[in-house]
Amino acid sequence: MQKKSLMHSAINSVKGNLIIVGIVILIIVTSIIEPKFLTLGNFENIIRQFGVLIFVALGMTFVIMGGFIDLSVSGIISLVVVVMVSLVDPIGQVNAIIVGILIGLACGLLNSFLIISCGALTQAEALFLTYGMGLVYAALALMYTEGMTIFLSYAETPITIFNAIGTGSLGSIPIAFIIFFVCLVILFIIQRWTYIGRSIVLIGENIVASRLSGIPITKSVVFIYAVSGVMTAIGAVNLISRVMLASPVIGGAIGGGYETQAILAVVVGGTAMSGGRGSVLWTVIGALVLTLMNNSLNLMGVSSYIQMMLRGAILILAILLDRQKQISEGK
Amino acid sequence: MEKNNADVILQIRNVSKAFPGVQALDKVSLNVFSGTIHGIVGENGAGKSTLMKILSGVYKKDSGEIIFDGKKLENVTPIQSMNMGLSIIYQELNLINQLSVGENIYLGRFGIMGGRKGVHSNARILLDKMGCKIDTYKLVSELSVSEKQMVEIAKAMSYDSKLIIMDEPSSSLSVDELRQLKKIIFDLKANGISIIYISHKLDEIFDICDVVTVMRDGHVIDTRDVSDISRSEMISMMVGRTIENEFPPRPNCAGETILEVKNINTNKLKNAQLTLKKGEILGIVGLVGSGRTETVRAIFGADKVKEKKIRLQGEEIEIVSPRNAIDQGIAMVPEDRKVQGLLMRFSVERNISLARLASLVSFGFIRENEEKQMGVRQIESLDIRTPSPKTKIQSLSGGNQQKAILGRWLELKPRILILDEPTKGIDVGAKYEIYLIMKKIVEDGGSIILISSELPEVLNMSNRVITISDGEITGEFDPVQSSPDEIMEKAL
Repeated sequence: MQKKSLMHSAINSVKGNLIIVGIVILIIVTSIIEPKFLTLGNFENIIRQFGVLIFVALGMTFVIMGGFIDLSVSGIISLVVVVMVSLVDPIGQVNAIIVGILIGLACGLLNSFLIISCGALTQAEALFLTYGMGLVYAALALMYTEGMTIFLSYAETPITIFNAIGTGSLGSIPIAFIIFFVCLVILFIIQRWTYIGRSIVLIGENIVASRLSGIPITKSVVFIYAVSGVMTAIGAVNLISRVMLASPVIGGAIGGGYETQAILAVVVGGTAMSGGRGSVLWTVIGALVLTLMNNSLNLMGVSSYIQMMLRGAILILAILLDRQKQISEGK
Repeated sequence: MEKNNADVILQIRNVSKAFPGVQALDKVSLNVFSGTIHGIVGENGAGKSTLMKILSGVYKKDSGEIIFDGKKLENVTPIQSMNMGLSIIYQELNLINQLSVGENIYLGRFGIMGGRKGVHSNARILLDKMGCKIDTYKLVSELSVSEKQMVEIAKAMSYDSKLIIMDEPSSSLSVDELRQLKKIIFDLKANGISIIYISHKLDEIFDICDVVTVMRDGHVIDTRDVSDISRSEMISMMVGRTIENEFPPRPNCAGETILEVKNINTNKLKNAQLTLKKGEILGIVGLVGSGRTETVRAIFGADKVKEKKIRLQGEEIEIVSPRNAIDQGIAMVPEDRKVQGLLMRFSVERNISLARLASLVSFGFIRENEEKQMGVRQIESLDIRTPSPKTKIQSLSGGNQQKAILGRWLELKPRILILDEPTKGIDVGAKYEIYLIMKKIVEDGGSIILISSELPEVLNMSNRVITISDGEITGEFDPVQSSPDEIMEKAL
């Protein structure tokens, strides 16, 4: 009996983290058969890829915990990078970064304003609405530069901050990592101990019951999308610091760019797609595992089309597992 | 109970079943005789459904013995038990909507019945025998709930069932439909078939059954002939203590008017209005869809309205959201506990703290110690039975979930508490506890607006009753002086 229940709980925990287990197996296999995987150069590579994704994914965690979704993040990235880079010479790098982050904030606020005024309080409605807004932001980025790419390296004013974020380190700790860590700590504190953080998971669990008990719906939705917008803009700063240029399509195709990766990181981490449960800490693990997976697949020479398919499959699997869990919990 | 052992169709001896943390059945023994209608009653969690699921093979028993029709029932699958002549009709009927009546009756046996034609002709014979006129070619999705139940019974008959178990068969039937079901059950009995009839509704047990078994906390308390037991005796066996009455004495502390609501107009409501006194329980009687829920939701600010005027203690106030209402000391327990009340995957404690959470915030942070105390306080004062304040609320019984929601609002010490179907789907014992809580609230100076589909509840708990029909308030009654018929007439 004892043995049986031990086995049972082992099987259950594997089942609960099926996706992570699968990816970890893949990583182990890669590290055995592909010697390049365990080199220092490759790890730097991994950290860099992780660098942009993680900021977007941290913001997305709040959105998904609240039972919503944000498909506008690639559009926001494109818009933020082109405006920011173009402003480095006219107003200086510090002001340019501030404006960039304010644009992220403004996009997030606009998203939430539209969601509330349309009463689009379901995940599906939010999905279409933010998809539409993502198209708008991406179009604005293209109109702003008339489709041209702007190079940060051609700027005449010093770009020391971008350089520091891109390559600098404090002692042996990369500055980008410090920024990530500060964001993580702040978001974790909000999520764990504050009223607004609790409100987010409450409305994610049951928005009707929360509203009838006086939990502030509007404030929570505004906060969720504002965080997503700001975190996306911070991700955009990191992106420019690495690639040193701003293309109006850098965020990737809407629906195929950073949002897909960010949503994957969130759900692979174990945050419920249906809302009400999750953590930014889990998302860090999710993003790390996902980045390692991408890297493994690249090293193994798996075609990018197959990789796309795999990402789609993981997303579907995550939703399926979440659904099963809900059914078994009798929800 | 002087019956011959040969007449026993089902013998359950010392059957036990444990789930993690709960002894769902503890040495349960029970005999069902041929041709009798055997009622089983008990509160939620008494073990009725576990026992049924063991009989049908959904669960495996831990120990004990079951003998059905002279054969030992050991590790059977649901299909095997049906073939042996034991059928179960579940509350949520198990028919396939997209198939016809005949196909549902002979599901999985088309070959033996001689294909499509055979299926329908045999189904016809079967339904005619029951005096049931449903067309066998009709899709099940087009049937009413009672017709679906007939089809389920016909299906059970098609297996030559010797024992049919019905789990809460009347829960969604109208009075007429229930009468028809009763007739069919009596016909089955006349043909020597035994019925196990599980129900919450004691009236039906007295009306239909020959024998009744009372279960509580996984034990069989007693099995008696229905003619030998009184209603109050049955209730006290179910809840484990004597309840003199189903309702506590009516509180009587109404003072002066505290709330005046006028001119509520929506698409549904036409100039709805009401007044409420301090310390009063005001009952609202109306059918589902009459506008009773819309009225209280409008007062609470849950829905947008075209027009409304609210005066609280003489002062005109504006309520446009539940938040406004809460700030004015108005609370509402909504009608659908699962959808509108509970945060299923959250702890009992967090479900309790919900409405007062905003007052536990300093500098944006929740004072979690106070939140914990709040949970403990309500769990103790309302006697919410939960293993711990941290237990997820979904694992509690309906009655305890409802008490937690009441606790959520009592923390606010509301001036006005709106209760929409506060005892729906909960058992007798928990109901009584909720009535006592209501009594205490008004004795402490609060006021209550009570909506319930159970007329006796409104009539026994309220100081004043208003009726609503088709969006309009149609009458006002003193529940002590007026007859239920008078009141219902205005509500129709």
